[in-house]
Amino acid sequence: MLSSLGNPRQAAAQLMNFGLILSTAFMLWKGLSVITDSPSPIVVVLSGSMEPAFQRGDLLLLWNRNLFSETSVGEIVVYNVKDKDIPIVHRVVRKFGSGPNAKLLTKGDNNLSDDTELYARGQDYLVRKDIIGSVQGFIPFVGYVTIMLAEHPWLKTVMLGIMGLVVVLQRE
Amino acid sequence: MYSSLVRLQNTFGFFTTVAFVIAAFIAASDFASPRAPSVATLKTTSLQVVRGRPHYYSSKKEEYAIIKFSLDANLSSLFTWNTKQVFVYVTAEWPSSGAEGNATNQAVIWDTIITAPSADHLSNLGPASLKKLRKSAAGKSIDPSRGLISLKNQKPKYQITHPSGKIAETQDVRLRLHYNVQPWVGVLAWNQNVDYGRWKRLKGDLSKKFALPALKTKAATTGAAGTGTKA
Repeated sequence: MLSSLGNPRQAAAQLMNFGLILSTAFMLWKGLSVITDSPSPIVVVLSGSMEPAFQRGDLLLLWNRNLFSETSVGEIVVYNVKDKDIPIVHRVVRKFGSGPNAKLLTKGDNNLSDDTELYARGQDYLVRKDIIGSVQGFIPFVGYVTIMLAEHPWLKTVMLGIMGLVVVLQRE
Repeated sequence: MYSSLVRLQNTFGFFTTVAFVIAAFIAASDFASPRAPSVATLKTTSLQVVRGRPHYYSSKKEEYAIIKFSLDANLSSLFTWNTKQVFVYVTAEWPSSGAEGNATNQAVIWDTIITAPSADHLSNLGPASLKKLRKSAAGKSIDPSRGLISLKNQKPKYQITHPSGKIAETQDVRLRLHYNVQPWVGVLAWNQNVDYGRWKRLKGDLSKKFALPALKTKAATTGAAGTGTKA
């Protein structure tokens, strides 16, 4: 197995292979980002505020283009609040006006009150540009891997190491 | 080629491929099952506009409307083997007055989550009501009868307001019933205005137009304050 390390040509080819896999994944992600017009077309649910619809670790597929109709009441949207890093997945429950400046209010299905308190100081409503996508597709549980990786950072190192080893050590 | 590492890799790869293909088939099966939801009755039973603080965190007093309504709907065809829950909600919608004439306002006044029996354990209920819910569908993995909704003079869950602080005497308000089907895997679906293949549009989802009444006088407002607080 380790004999391949002795052959510099083969080692270089395998390194190349590893880089190819990484860049393909990156290109797929960015390509999806362009198609959906969303900076983050796939998100993992991190909280239970939309239970029982979404549990922690579920994967959501987003779409951020208004081809046929505007983002409206009832849609489940992912939005960012100023100065907060974590995107939030909640349902739009009120909409006043139309167009890019329509005022939107959101609420988690599992929360008693709406999101006014989650917004930035002095912000009462969201506008369209705060939203990075509406939930269109749902795959359960698959995203749990990323929660594990985020909560136990050493797993990240271990996994990258194993991936690297596998690519370098395989013969073909 | 035949090292145990490669075998492990192949097994895992095959497992994920099979899992995704099965998931794709399940998701696609949604489009094969017919959906024909309908609304028999959707009408308001009492209208009230009061001035006060609609939420405990409201910083200023504003006008808010309390719309009670009756609803009879049959959403049973939405419950299939891939249905995790159906989110049912009633909105009030009205056109804007003034400069932005064609802009609309829409606000949810009432909503409910109907879980499929297979998702009962996930619902946010107390132990007693969860037991009752489970018992109602004992032995069934799909229970279409949960899609039958009948409400008489239902109190709204949310009092509607407007950013301007004024809502009294708003004209051309309508109630509309909506639903959102949440699958176990696949595409989320909302109610439609047109038929798509085997999914029919939601019939009778709009109520008649009505106008909100004038603001209640101060003497009456104190009496209504109790309905404004959240449970």
